[in-house]
Amino acid sequence: MKLTWGAEEEAFRDELLAFLDAEVPEEIKGGRDWIGDESPEIPKWASEFQAKLFDHGWMVPSYPPELGGRNATPLQTLIFLEELASRGVSRSVHFGGYAIVGPSLLEFGNEQQKGMAPSAIRGDTVWCVGMSEPDAGSDLASLQTRAVPDGDSFIVTGQKVWTSYAMVAEKCFCYVRTDTSVAKHKGISVLIIDMDSPGLEVRPLRHLTGAIEFAEVFLNEVVVPKENLVGELNSGWRITMGSLAHERGALWVESVSSAQRALEGLVEIARRQGLEQDGVVRRKLAELYEEVHSLRALGYKGFASFAQGSSAPEHSFMKLATSELRQRIYAFGMELQGPYAAVVDPEFVEEGGRWQQSWQISLAGTIGGGTSEIQRNVVATRVLGLPRG
Amino acid sequence: MDFTLNEDQVLLRETARAMFGNECPPELVRDAFYDVTSSGPEAASSFFDRHLRDWAALGDAAVVDLCLFMEEAGRVLAPGPAWVNTSLFLPLLRAIEHPSADLVAAGEVTGTVAVCGSDGYWVLNNDPMRSFVPHANEVDVVAILSAGNQVSCVAVAELDLQEVATLDRSRPVFQFAVPAGLDSTEIGAEQLAVVLNRGTVALAAELIGVGRWLMDTTLEYVRERVQFDRPVGSFQGLQWKLVDAALLLERADAAVYYAAMCLDAGAPEQDRAVHVAKAAAGIAARRWARDGLQSLGGIGFTWEHDLHLRLRRAQASEQLLGSASWHHDRLAELIFAPD
Ligand SMILES: Cc1cc2nc3c(=O)[nH]c(=O)nc-3n(C[C@H](O)[C@H](O)[C@H](O)COP(=O)(O)OP(=O)(O)OC[C@H]3O[C@@H](n4cnc5c(N)ncnc54)[C@H](O)[C@@H]3O)c2cc1C
Repeated sequence: MKLTWGAEEEAFRDELLAFLDAEVPEEIKGGRDWIGDESPEIPKWASEFQAKLFDHGWMVPSYPPELGGRNATPLQTLIFLEELASRGVSRSVHFGGYAIVGPSLLEFGNEQQKGMAPSAIRGDTVWCVGMSEPDAGSDLASLQTRAVPDGDSFIVTGQKVWTSYAMVAEKCFCYVRTDTSVAKHKGISVLIIDMDSPGLEVRPLRHLTGAIEFAEVFLNEVVVPKENLVGELNSGWRITMGSLAHERGALWVESVSSAQRALEGLVEIARRQGLEQDGVVRRKLAELYEEVHSLRALGYKGFASFAQGSSAPEHSFMKLATSELRQRIYAFGMELQGPYAAVVDPEFVEEGGRWQQSWQISLAGTIGGGTSEIQRNVVATRVLGLPRG
Repeated sequence: MDFTLNEDQVLLRETARAMFGNECPPELVRDAFYDVTSSGPEAASSFFDRHLRDWAALGDAAVVDLCLFMEEAGRVLAPGPAWVNTSLFLPLLRAIEHPSADLVAAGEVTGTVAVCGSDGYWVLNNDPMRSFVPHANEVDVVAILSAGNQVSCVAVAELDLQEVATLDRSRPVFQFAVPAGLDSTEIGAEQLAVVLNRGTVALAAELIGVGRWLMDTTLEYVRERVQFDRPVGSFQGLQWKLVDAALLLERADAAVYYAAMCLDAGAPEQDRAVHVAKAAAGIAARRWARDGLQSLGGIGFTWEHDLHLRLRRAQASEQLLGSASWHHDRLAELIFAPD
C-alpha cells in the first residue's frame, strides 16, 4: 500500500493541467456542478471544447488517438477524471454519445458501425439512447417497442420516454423487442434509428428544473434498414451491460470529486454566512467530510482490485452512495443560507443560485442510470450474497 | 494511491488470521471474562504470553502492517493488552528513546498508556487522577502522560489500580492516583501526535475487525434462517438496512487503511485522515452491532450468542481515544483552520 503515484503518472497530470489551463472555455472556467441551460441546444463553446479534447487525445484518454485518446493506462484515466471533476469541468453536455454509444459500437458493432464511433465520441454526431419506456423503467427488459422484420428493413412501433437530448440528436441507439416468444431479456435488439425518419416524433419534456433536456419519442411504423442492427439479433440485453466498460474502474472518481468540490464550497458559505463557530454546522460539515473522504478511499481501494483485473465489489456502492451524498451536500448549502434557502433569484443568493440549482439537478442522480432502490437490490444480492426477494 | 497489499502484507494477514483462528476460539474470551471458569483467566493470559508477545515488534513496523494485525485481533476479540502495548506504549517509548523500548519490542516487558484525567477526555492534563487506562492489570509498566507533553514511566506494582467496569469486560480499564514526585521526560508535540495517531488508527482497525465479524455472522444467519417459507435475508426491508450498514463498514475500512498510509508517508493530511478513520470505524462497528442484533432476532439478544461480546467492544472502544463526535469536532477545527 502506498500513497503516492509514480513519476509517469505525475508527468501525465502535468500535461493534462497545462492543457486545461489553456483550453477550458471561459463559460466553465470557474467550474460548474452542472452544464446545459434552459434551452436544449448544445452551446457552441461546449461542442468546440469536446472536439478540441478529442483532437488532443483528452476526450477518452484510454482510447487510441483516432478515437480521441492517447492509450492512457487505467491509472492515468483515474487521474484524468479526478482532475476534471475537481475543477468542475465536464467533457461534454451530452454523455450518451461518448460514454454509451461510442463504446458500444466499438464493442458490438460491425465494421461500418464501428466507423461511426469517432464522430459519436467527438460530438460531431449527437446521439440519444432509447431505453426507458412508459412501462419499462427499472424493469428495462420488459420494454415493448416492437421491431418487425419486413424485407430489408424493420418496422418499428412504440414509445420511448425520458430520452435525453432526443430533440437535438441525429441518431438514436434504440432498444427494441424483436422476439415476443421468449423470456423477456432474450428478445431485445438494438437498432440505430435516424431521428429524422418518417413516423418518428419527439415531444420535449421539461425537467423539474424547467430545463428541456429529455423527451418522449414516438415511433409509428418507422422503417429502419436491417443493416442498422447492432450486434446479433436478440442480443440487445448483453449490450446494456457493455457500455462504459473502459472507464468503469474510474467513473466513481467523477462523483466523489464533485462531492468534494461541493463540500469545499460549503465551508466557504459557512464562513461567509458567519456560521463558522456554530457547533451544529461544524459537526455536520465534519460528518460530510468524513463521508466524502472515506468514499474516496473506498473508490481507490476498489480501483486497486480493478487495475489487477479482479472484480471490485466496492464500486457497486459508489453510485448509490455518491448520488445520495450529493443531494445532502447541496441541500445543506441551501440550509446554510437561512431564509434565503429557497430563493432562486441569482441576485440574492450565494454564488448566483449555484446551490439551489445543483440541488434540483442532484435529485435526478438517484433515479437516472438505475434508481437507488435498484442499486440497493443489486448490492444486496450480488455483493452481500443475500437471496433474491 | 495504491491499496494493493504487497506479498509480505498478504502473508502477515494470513499468518495472523491462521494463528487467531487456531489459537483463539470464542470460549477463550468467554471463559476469561464472561462465564468465568477457574482456568479461563489463566488460559487468556497464557494465550497472550504464548502468541502475542511475538507480535509486539509490530509497534515499530509500518502502520498498515499494524492495522492488518489489529483487524484480525478485533475479529476474534483477542484477549490481552496487545493493542495498547504494541500501538501506543512501544511507539511512545521509541519517541522518548527509552532504554526499555527494545525489551518491549522483544515482548519481554509490556506496558500501557495513561492519558485521560477523571473527565475521561483523551487530552493531556494535570488531573491528580488518570482514568480509562486499558489493561493496566495485565502489563508491567504504565506510561503516564501529563500536561506539557511530559511522560513518566511507573511500574504497575507502585500504583493503586481501581477497575472502572465498562460494558466491555474483555478490555478492562482502570483509574489511579498519579503518584507524587515522578521523574518525567518531555516528548515533542509532533512526536506525541504521531504516537496517538498510531494508537488511534490501530484501534480503528480493531473496530473494523469487530465490524467484519458482525457483518459476516449476520449475513450468514439471514441467508439460512427461514420464516414465511423464505430466507429472512430475501426480505427487502432487511436487505436495504444491511446494504447501508455494509456501505458504512466498507468505507470505514478503506478510511482506516488510507489513514495508515498517510501516517506511513508522513502526509500533511494525516491528522484529518485519522479523525475520519476513527469516527467512521466507530460508527460502522456500532451500526453492525445494532443492525446485526436486530437481524438475528431473539437469539441476538441472548448471553449465549457471541454477538454481545462485539456489541460491548464496539460501544466501549468508541470512547477510547475519542468518540466519533469528538473526532468530528477536531476535524471541524482543521477544516476551518486558516491555511
Ligand atoms: C434526468 C434523467 C435522464 C434520463 N435519461 C434517459 C435516457 O437518456 N434514456 C433512457 O432510456 N432513460 C433515461 N432516463 C430514465 C431512467 O433510466 C429511468 O427513470 C429509471 O431507470 C427509472 O425508471 P422509471 O422512471 O420508470 O421508474 P420505475 O421503474 O417505475 O420506478 C418507480 C419507483 O419504484 C422503485 N422500484 C422499481 N422497481 C423496484 C424494485 N425491484 N425494488 C424496489 N423498488 C423498486 C424505483 O426505485 C422507483 O422509486 C432518465 C431519467 C432521468 C431522471
